[in-house]
This record gives sequence, structure tokens and C-alpha cells, in this order.
Amino acid sequence: MKINGVTVDNTFAEAFAMKATRLVITAMTLKWAYRAANSLTGFASSVIACGCEADIERELGPGETPDGRPGIAVIMFAMSRKQLMDQVRRRVGQSVMTTATSACFAGSRSDDMIPLGRSLRYFGDGFQISKTVDGIRYWRIPVMHGEFLCEESTGMVPAIGGGNFLVMAKTSRHGITACEQAVRAIRAVRGAVTTFPGGIVGSGSKVGSKYRFVPASTNEVFCPTLKGLVPTQLTEEVGSVLEIVIDGLNEKAIREAIRAGVHAVCRFGPKKGIFRVSAGNYGGKLGPYHFHLWDILK
Amino acid sequence: MSDVTFELRRQPETWLDLSALTPDKLHGHTLTAIKAIRLRCGRRAGNVGDLFQVSGDDPLSLRFVDACRSFVRLGHGMTRGRIRVNGHAGHYLGQDMRGGQITVRGSAGNWLGAGMSGGSIEISGDAGDFIGAAVAGAMHGMTGGNIVVGGNAGKRAADRMRRGTILVLGDAGDFAGSRMIAGTLLILGLARTGVGYGMRRGTIVLGRMPAHVPVTFNDCGRLKMEFLRLLFKQTADSRKRFGYFREFGPEARRFAGDIAAGGQGEILVLLNASRRRSA
Repeated sequence: MKINGVTVDNTFAEAFAMKATRLVITAMTLKWAYRAANSLTGFASSVIACGCEADIERELGPGETPDGRPGIAVIMFAMSRKQLMDQVRRRVGQSVMTTATSACFAGSRSDDMIPLGRSLRYFGDGFQISKTVDGIRYWRIPVMHGEFLCEESTGMVPAIGGGNFLVMAKTSRHGITACEQAVRAIRAVRGAVTTFPGGIVGSGSKVGSKYRFVPASTNEVFCPTLKGLVPTQLTEEVGSVLEIVIDGLNEKAIREAIRAGVHAVCRFGPKKGIFRVSAGNYGGKLGPYHFHLWDILK
Repeated sequence: MSDVTFELRRQPETWLDLSALTPDKLHGHTLTAIKAIRLRCGRRAGNVGDLFQVSGDDPLSLRFVDACRSFVRLGHGMTRGRIRVNGHAGHYLGQDMRGGQITVRGSAGNWLGAGMSGGSIEISGDAGDFIGAAVAGAMHGMTGGNIVVGGNAGKRAADRMRRGTILVLGDAGDFAGSRMIAGTLLILGLARTGVGYGMRRGTIVLGRMPAHVPVTFNDCGRLKMEFLRLLFKQTADSRKRFGYFREFGPEARRFAGDIAAGGQGEILVLLNASRRRSA
């Protein structure tokens, strides 16, 4: 398949099951809500070593947040319920509660609620106050800037991690310019996020390594500098490969995100240094979710 | 389906216990069966059909017209459905209620919502003493749900209240929020003597500064309480007629106490609230 002269491989992205929750972070101004959200989603690119994957989903206006202040919706993903609970406690406690004027609320509800304020309230050292408003319980934790307001729990939902596509470009500059547009297009899709820095992976990995103690290592078949050394997947004109990894709350969100992202990339075409789009998979052994590029793009 | 409507044939001479007439208890009953239910009326008992004209066919939605002060325990222990009352709903309205909705176009007597744990009660007029309070022998008052009083409240509103929300749009009598264990009491009018007496935890939000704040409450100063912003926004969002709550800001003067009882409760006096409401 070719879109605007860019070859799209007949392959699929392989994704796996995760657990996720959406959080709503508010603050006195949008700038301070961003400070909290950026801190929470920092060092949350991959579950391989970060404990969770997280990113900002979108900005929220005052009319969309529980306390009527500007806010940010973030989505956090982890491999298990226990891991997600642990990461929510650590990251909201250290990144959101420490941000001046911030508050944190559940952005998703489900039958399976995990602790949010319930585990953070102990910071109040006995001075914390519980309040129920319209059937939802909140914790008011006295802190030095005033009060940190936090919802009792947040809804955990089944989710999907590892949706992806690869962009093969003439140079890194060509690749990153196109991928920035792709990330912008993906940001418009509700329920899907790109958790790597800037939404783009510069060092896509394969599972395992020649070293026993390394769980993931460089994906040499897509490394331009190794074209002469290994059975490469790259053609001669490709000088840089960037990957966009997408986590989503459901298959539909990831499919929409891949479609939006690939189309945004293909708009650049070969004249602007974009030659090919592919996807990463492990022959169907990694996860049960397969996103076939041709099916999504047709 | 139409509401099952109860219209009094004549005013009872003494109290009339209506605890048998709740949506839960009437569900599945025919009109004939409902008319045959026995009600306590003072020291005597009588059939529903003798006391009321009954019509309608939806027992999950009840309506009492020309209600009077002789009623007691209307909506007692109900868990679902709806009761609408025109007139005075009597004493112990919604006592031990666990769910459902009671709406009164008129007033209610003492012990409104005493011991309730869920559901909502809305009174357009005044309510008597001990709203949401603990009845004699009980360790705590209401443990959940919402009560809205459109007029004034009597004495000791929210006495020993443990959870839930009581909103009084008018004034409240002496010792409002006495011995509160937790929960939220909002009084947009004037609270009289002894507000918060003996409270251990919980929140009393006052629309106007009372003439005397008890000396056993310490002044924490004028603060921005983001919780108030949340409370007012959620209240305004959930019920259209409370849209004016959006006018309230988060600023309040906070008093903590009652230190005589080792309490960590709070009285929040809204700043400029009266000005905002009248604006």
C-alpha cells in the first residue's frame, strides 16, 4: 500500500493487555496544572524500567473539572493492578501533592476502584478531613499551601499498551518533523496517549539481549548504522527510524490513533524525506492485540 | 402508571403513624390490599381506606395531599422510590431512610431525617428541631444522604450527625451542629447561639457570621478553601435550582473546635456570601 508515495508495509503492530486509570489534575492556573502533570508523567515512558507508562491526554476547561479550575487529564498504564496502585500512590504523592495549589480527582470510574486519596490521606497526620459530595468521597489533606484535595479512589480499567508504528525517513530531522505532526494528530484522539518523550521513541527495542541481565535491547534490524552488519529491514535511502508507541484505553482508541498518526506522517511524502511506514511485532508471541496497518488505513 | 395518592378524609385527632406506607412496603400490593393496611392512630388502629381516599397504581411513587402535623414516621426506613407531600409532613419524616427521595411542598416537624443513611429529603418550607440528629438512645444521627430545608430549621440541627449533608437555606435555631461527629451542615441564613457546641469533627458552613462564635473555637483566619469551590460547583451542577451556588467563592473564615470536646471540627463562615447572594 502507498499513501502519498509513502510505502506502508503489510504488517501489524503487536500490543498487550495493561491496566489503566485516568486522573484529573487541577490547579490555580493551567500552568501549574501542567507542572503537576508533567512531573507525574516524567520518567514514565516504558514499563520496562519506569514502573508505569503515563502521559497527558488533554487539557480540561474549568467546566470539565470537579472543582471548576483548569485541569489536565492524564492516563497511567501498568502491567498489573498492584503495580498501578503503587505507581498512583507514589506519583500523585510526590508529584501532584507537592505542586502548589494542585488537586487530584478520578478521571475514570469502574467497578474496580483503586486507592487515590485513600492511601495519601495519611500525609495529613490525623488532621485530614473526609468529605462526601454527591456520593463521591474526597479527602482534604492540610498542607502548607492550604489544602490538598484528592478524591478517595479512581477507576481502574483494562487497557492496551504497545500499539505502534515505525517511520523510516531520510534523516532524523525529516523523521522527527513528520513524527511531531503525528503526535499532534494522536493527541486529538480521546483515550490514547504516547508515553515516550515528545511521543516519539528514538531507540525502539526488541525483547531480550545477548546479555542475560538486560530485558530489552536495541532493535538492530532497524538501526541505520548497522545496515552493513546485520540482516537489515532498511533500504539504502533510509537514514533514520523513529517509532511512535501508543497506549490506549481500548482497541478503538489505538486504531484511531494509528490511523491519524500514519496519515499525518504520510502527508510529508518521499520529497520531504519520509519513505516507509511499518510496525513492530514479535510474530504474534508478545500480545493478543494485533493492529494490521492495511486494515486500519483502508 | 400514576402515583398512588393518599388524600385525608378528615384530620386525625391524634398522631398517625405512616411508617407502613413506603414504596418498599407497598410494592406489589393492589389498591385493595393497600386500603386494608392497618395504621396506628394514637392508641387505636384503622384501615388506610378509612383514613384516606386512595387512588393510583404505582406504589413506587406515593403522593400525600393535604398532609397534616399529626403525621409521624412518614417514609420510615424507605430504600427506594419517591414520596411527595403537600402540606405539613409531620414528625420523624424519613427517619432511618436508606434510599429514595422525599419531597415536601410545605414544612416538616422535629427529627426530620433522624438516623437516615441514604437518599434525599427536600422541604420547601421550615423544619423543626433535631434535623438529621440522633434519636434518644442512638449514638449518632444521620450517616448519609442529603437533606435540604428551603426555610428555617429548628434547634440542634445535625446533632451527633456522622455523615451526609444538610443544607438550610434560611436560619437555624440554637446549637446547630451540636456534638457533630462528621458530615457537612450548611446554613445560608443566620445560626443562633451555640453553633457547633461539642462538635468533634465535621464541617459547618455559615452564610453569615453568627453574633457569637463559641469561645471554644479557635480562629484560623481568612483562607481560600478549595473544598468549598468543589462543594458549591457540585451542588450547583447536580441541582439546577441551586445554580446560585456558583456565585460563592472559596474564601472563608475558619474556626476550629470545639476544643472543649477535643474536637477537630470546623466552622467556615463564607466571606461576602450575603453580598454575592443579593447581587
